[in-house]
Amino acid sequence: MQRRHFLLSTLVLALSLTLPAVSRADDRPAVIRIGVASVGTGNRPVFGGSSVALANVKGVLEDEFKADGIKVEWNFFKGAGPAVNEALANKLIDFAWQGDLPALIGKAGGLRTRLLIADGTRGTAYLAVPSDSTAKTLEDLKGRKVALFKGTNAQLVVAKVLDARGGLSERDFKSINMDSATTQAAIATKDIDAGWFGPEVYGLVDRGIARVVYTTKGQAPNLARQTHFLVTEDFEKKYPQITQRVVTALVKQAAWASDDKNREQVLQQWSKSGVPYNAWKQDYDGTPLRVRLSPLFDDYFVQHYKDALALSKKFKLVRGDVDIDAWLEPKYQRQALRDLKLEGYWPDNDARGVPKK
Amino acid sequence: MQQHRYWLGAGLLALAGAGHAAAPSNEELQKQIVALKKAVEALQQQLDQNAQASKAAPAVPAATAVAASDAAGTPATREDLQGVQADLENFKYQVQRDRDTATATSSRALNVGGTIQARAAYSSQATSTSSSTPAGVVNNRNSSFDVPTAILAFTGNLYKDYDEGRNLGYRLSAGASQQTASNNSFLNLLDAYLTYSVLPTIDPATSRLDIAFGQQLLPFGLEVPATEDLKPVILNAQFTTRLGLAQRQIGLIARGDFDPVVDYGYNYRAPLLTYAFGVVNGNGPNTSDNNSAKDWVGRLAFTVPSDYNSWWRQLTVGGSFYRGKANLFVPGTGTLVGTGDRVRYGVDVTYNHEPFGVTYEYIQGRDDTASGTTQANTRVSSIKSDSHTATFFYNFGEQFVKGFRAQGRYDDWWPKSYQPFFRYDRFDPNTDKPSDESTVYTAGLNVFFAQTTKFQLNINHTDDKAKNQSYSDFLAQFQFGF
Repeated sequence: MQRRHFLLSTLVLALSLTLPAVSRADDRPAVIRIGVASVGTGNRPVFGGSSVALANVKGVLEDEFKADGIKVEWNFFKGAGPAVNEALANKLIDFAWQGDLPALIGKAGGLRTRLLIADGTRGTAYLAVPSDSTAKTLEDLKGRKVALFKGTNAQLVVAKVLDARGGLSERDFKSINMDSATTQAAIATKDIDAGWFGPEVYGLVDRGIARVVYTTKGQAPNLARQTHFLVTEDFEKKYPQITQRVVTALVKQAAWASDDKNREQVLQQWSKSGVPYNAWKQDYDGTPLRVRLSPLFDDYFVQHYKDALALSKKFKLVRGDVDIDAWLEPKYQRQALRDLKLEGYWPDNDARGVPKK
Repeated sequence: MQQHRYWLGAGLLALAGAGHAAAPSNEELQKQIVALKKAVEALQQQLDQNAQASKAAPAVPAATAVAASDAAGTPATREDLQGVQADLENFKYQVQRDRDTATATSSRALNVGGTIQARAAYSSQATSTSSSTPAGVVNNRNSSFDVPTAILAFTGNLYKDYDEGRNLGYRLSAGASQQTASNNSFLNLLDAYLTYSVLPTIDPATSRLDIAFGQQLLPFGLEVPATEDLKPVILNAQFTTRLGLAQRQIGLIARGDFDPVVDYGYNYRAPLLTYAFGVVNGNGPNTSDNNSAKDWVGRLAFTVPSDYNSWWRQLTVGGSFYRGKANLFVPGTGTLVGTGDRVRYGVDVTYNHEPFGVTYEYIQGRDDTASGTTQANTRVSSIKSDSHTATFFYNFGEQFVKGFRAQGRYDDWWPKSYQPFFRYDRFDPNTDKPSDESTVYTAGLNVFFAQTTKFQLNINHTDDKAKNQSYSDFLAQFQFGF
């Protein structure tokens, strides 16, 4: 009798858990789950430097799917690209905005993803020191504590930069793994001797906290941070039309943002991330938005990812292999360009990053 | 808007300045009219431009629009600066005032936390106990409300090594807990220890070694070292209390790991080997040792090296031992006859692969006991015991995905998660004696609905052969922390 009570209770418990799961099945998603490998200052759910960021702030995707009753869920990960990989591995997101290196590591490790559009090309990296530091060059920091957010696209750029300067590597420095917010705080308190940054470095420079001793700005295009927007293979196969609508909405947003007459508004919107307007302004100075916000898989983009894979393997950041051509899925962006009559709108660059004539 | 004011102000100033001068000539008046006309035209032009810009662009929130005009170069006014200055002064005053009157301070870094459980229980087996005091008598009880655990904990560092992370830290906690030796309602000292990181902790790719000195949980198996807030099941596995392993002990224990695999692509760290080795009194918490012999404890666990996105992730096999001496007495008296062995061995396997996990622990115990009626005729013999504990759980939700739950959000968001589980827990107190084992089957559900709060529902079925009893317990509790 007692055992029967126990079994009955257990059965009720198990049924109560499985019933909601059964009722969740549907022929279209109830929710589109997007992961973002970035977070705003003070952990605010806003970021900058991409068309996806603008789509988020403006509610572009929410509007697109409102009539269908499909909810759009944004997840901004403090752990950046590695946290996106963790969410992908646990099937917790359908789309992601992420950098090249973590996506390569994920793909090489078996994550089933497809790249949909480029979103944020030729990003810059800055090496900054406390403003009263005696260091004047990158080489002056050898053997000293340098913060780097490992597993993000910054790590690959740093490896390339160091390698290009006489075969240096992370081992020549006391390399410390720190996220962006912690690095900013550590530079201010001088707990580290230097740190690698993105555009947010200008916020520190303008306040007299930090001084840039090296930047990839104005250097060869292959020394660039690269980001993209991807989808999981499962979602893409199950909902190709939804995937197309997401890509079309983002390409439309990229077209608006790439128009330099909207530059001020774009930078202002990005400043809602907490990275000041002036930081975005200085970082993007001298570069048309059309270049950095191009969604195209042009030869430059493809070559960048092929080089990134080769270098990641050389630096032992990636163990497995990735078929870059098969990884890219350009059919959605091509359809979007046709539908929006935007063919030829963005420069089609060759492998060196120079527009084809 | 700021620019309109600027131009209007400039025009009015020009007029006022002219008014103070001697009566102007017609020529001068003509010049002023031309200047005013130009100002009005400039204003009109600017209004038109603004109207066009607002038509062409999507609406921009007011705050952003102000920032845009500032970025365009409009200088801040004295009033603007005074406003900012006043805000700063107010802020400084408020911070100082709050610090003086409403801020708890400590001489070193301090983190205050706690864990509390509030429980409702029903048992199909009525409990009755006699007692010498009326308050201690239990009369045929089937149900009860309890607060079985209430712990207040303080942690922090005593020295922070900024260069290499060889930090000196501490933990102090007190409370009523299932893991304490006492069942009274007073707060007992639980943890009280000092920790030092012998090896640098800055780089996750290097091995670790920490030493803890003081009163602490033992590094034995899986369930014993888990703190109250981490246990999935409401009641402890039987062996933890019946073999005395759940008690905190006072002593020196080193814990470390070796050759970690670090998958930066997932921010995942898994050491190939984790180990612990220590020496303790063996007489439980809050008391001195009761003999000169010290007890030794150790653990070694091997984790299959793998990337995060591998089926081998978090597959660990471990082994533990505990060897010590216990005082032996003539049964039923306080007459000491010497010391006897108290030995525990354990083997465990864990496969914690989100969203599911399986754990298994086998423990074997050997305790010397004295029999006889006097010191002279006492005979010492060994009693062997063993235990099997297996748990299976499945997670619905994101509570246990580290990177996912660390999100940037405006509200007090936490991923809701549901964790159903099943545990098999068998303990045989004397392997040489037949039909004296006790088996507890537990089916349960943990609902995580806030960052430090969970609701737990457990249904236990106990088959106690020694007492020839079979009964079920229904337990529901909230566990919350701060």
